[in-house]
Amino acid sequence: MSEPVRPGAHRSAALVRQPAFWVVIVLLAVGAVRISQIMAIFLKSYPIATLTAILLFGLLAVPFWLFLSELDFMEREPPSLRVVAFAWGGLVATSVSIPGSTALDNLIAKLGSPDLAAEWGAALAGPTVEEIAKTLGVVAIVLIARSQINSVLDGIVYGALVGLGFQIVEDVVFAIGAVRSAGEGDQVQPVITTFLVRGFLAGVWSHTLFGALAGAGIGYLVVNRERGRPRRIAVAGLALFGAWASHSLWNSPLFRESLGDGAVALLAVLLFKGLPPLLLVLYLVRRAHDREAAYYVGILATVRERDLITEEELRVLGSGSRRGAARRHAAARAGRKARAAVRRLQRAQAGLAVELSRAEAGIPDEATPARAAEVREHRATLAALGHPEAVEGTRSWRHTASTLGTVAVAIAVVWVALSALGGA
Amino acid sequence: MGRVTRRHLTDLPGTLGLPAALAVASMLAALALGLPALDRAVPAERAAASGRPYLVGAGVTVVPPAGATLDVTGTRPGNDRGTALFRIDRVRYAIEVEPFDGDLTAAAVRLRQRITGTSGHHITGTQLAVSTAGGLAGVQGGYTAGDRDGRYAVFVAHGLTIEVMVSGDDTDLGRALPAIDASTRTLRYENR
Repeated sequence: MSEPVRPGAHRSAALVRQPAFWVVIVLLAVGAVRISQIMAIFLKSYPIATLTAILLFGLLAVPFWLFLSELDFMEREPPSLRVVAFAWGGLVATSVSIPGSTALDNLIAKLGSPDLAAEWGAALAGPTVEEIAKTLGVVAIVLIARSQINSVLDGIVYGALVGLGFQIVEDVVFAIGAVRSAGEGDQVQPVITTFLVRGFLAGVWSHTLFGALAGAGIGYLVVNRERGRPRRIAVAGLALFGAWASHSLWNSPLFRESLGDGAVALLAVLLFKGLPPLLLVLYLVRRAHDREAAYYVGILATVRERDLITEEELRVLGSGSRRGAARRHAAARAGRKARAAVRRLQRAQAGLAVELSRAEAGIPDEATPARAAEVREHRATLAALGHPEAVEGTRSWRHTASTLGTVAVAIAVVWVALSALGGA
Repeated sequence: MGRVTRRHLTDLPGTLGLPAALAVASMLAALALGLPALDRAVPAERAAASGRPYLVGAGVTVVPPAGATLDVTGTRPGNDRGTALFRIDRVRYAIEVEPFDGDLTAAAVRLRQRITGTSGHHITGTQLAVSTAGGLAGVQGGYTAGDRDGRYAVFVAHGLTIEVMVSGDDTDLGRALPAIDASTRTLRYENR
């Protein structure tokens, strides 16, 4: 059984000395110029609609970004690399996909027939070009910061961020396309409709999901070196195919007309086409997260100092829901400052685990004492607040009610949106 | 847990550096430039059956002008919408059908807005009524787009809008317009 985590050295400060880094920078710059040209045309023709689209979809990116940034709590990805991944999706992958997908769609019409292109062009051309262009973004991250890809979860996070960047820019382009098709001038209504359909209803199972799936394959390829190279390449290829198939299913004409136009039919199509890949990715994320967390908790378990981590904190640290429960418990017992302090303590403990894993793997590491001091500092803060241990409390009725209320509101909002769009 | 060995540190793909980065750039170039080049190399035009109705989409048919070819890159037939693109020498003759819940006036305003919404496009002359042999009523007008002239026509029937756009340089357009006008008059909605 291979280790779920392959500790990497600290990120080199000499990134600028790597030729691969400059190749990636040039590609990002070319993509930025191309997307800027497109946005300039949009702004000239439809300034209000374009700004509205950028604002709405930009806001939509925020919760996704925060979720993905927190997904790998134990070993967070550096902000600079997260930005590179997002920018690759939004600038490079989109710039490549616009001409590439159009050309492939045309080739399907030429080599097949216009009927084939009309029916299946979007399901074949878009996924083929876009999934490759996005996956190359994760490969680019590996090339410039190999030491930062330590687990399958890292590949998932970078893949999802590439997909998120792609999704946001593509949604803006589609929104302005809808404004143009509407032929009513610089109006925001088509932008709002596009936001509801592509951002709100389809956003959960869109490019972020496909990118995460392909990224998991790259993560596996890089991390599981005990496995043979053919097997790792096959797994990465299978993950890319999974992303392609999920995307193709989403774009396919299946069930487009057979289920009708009502809200129930729209919901059925969304679930049928989006749910299988969503469940698959959630399973992969859960498995990768838990394996990585168990590895780091195992490393921390070798530490026998209660001021660094206690038995109960070890149990809490490996689970996202338990970490959250511990913060809520701290807030209930000792106020908001304690909540923030627990969060900082948990982050410092995770950082200590990463440093210890490096030391155990024989990688030169001088940051362990500093990390340990950081943990002790946050422990002292917590102790001063009268809550010395970051443990979870009993589940409160308030939290249960809040969770149920949030779910009910979410279902109601989705239903209203489906009814409005489906004409129910 | 084992120690990190030299084999681990020199394994794919992190340490390949520049060659791997250039390979990534090459793959992107293949997608962004290679596919369009291949697209351009494969002919797009097919002979359009002369004198026989061609299904544009959503039950709307048109008889193509004599000598016209069908450009498959702009042709996408469908059950509830569709497009057809014909070419007569260097003149472009495009027909688009899509669901529409407004009247003819609204459809005409929408089409003119779309034309003027494109940089360098201007409406010219007055708008005139037009009808087809199958009884569709519509309006038509003209526009300019840089060094090219254009004609547009729009019809509304059975919850659909049928938009016709013709463009080409002055000389070619003058030569092709009679045949295109005759073709436009063959637009027909067939209840499926």
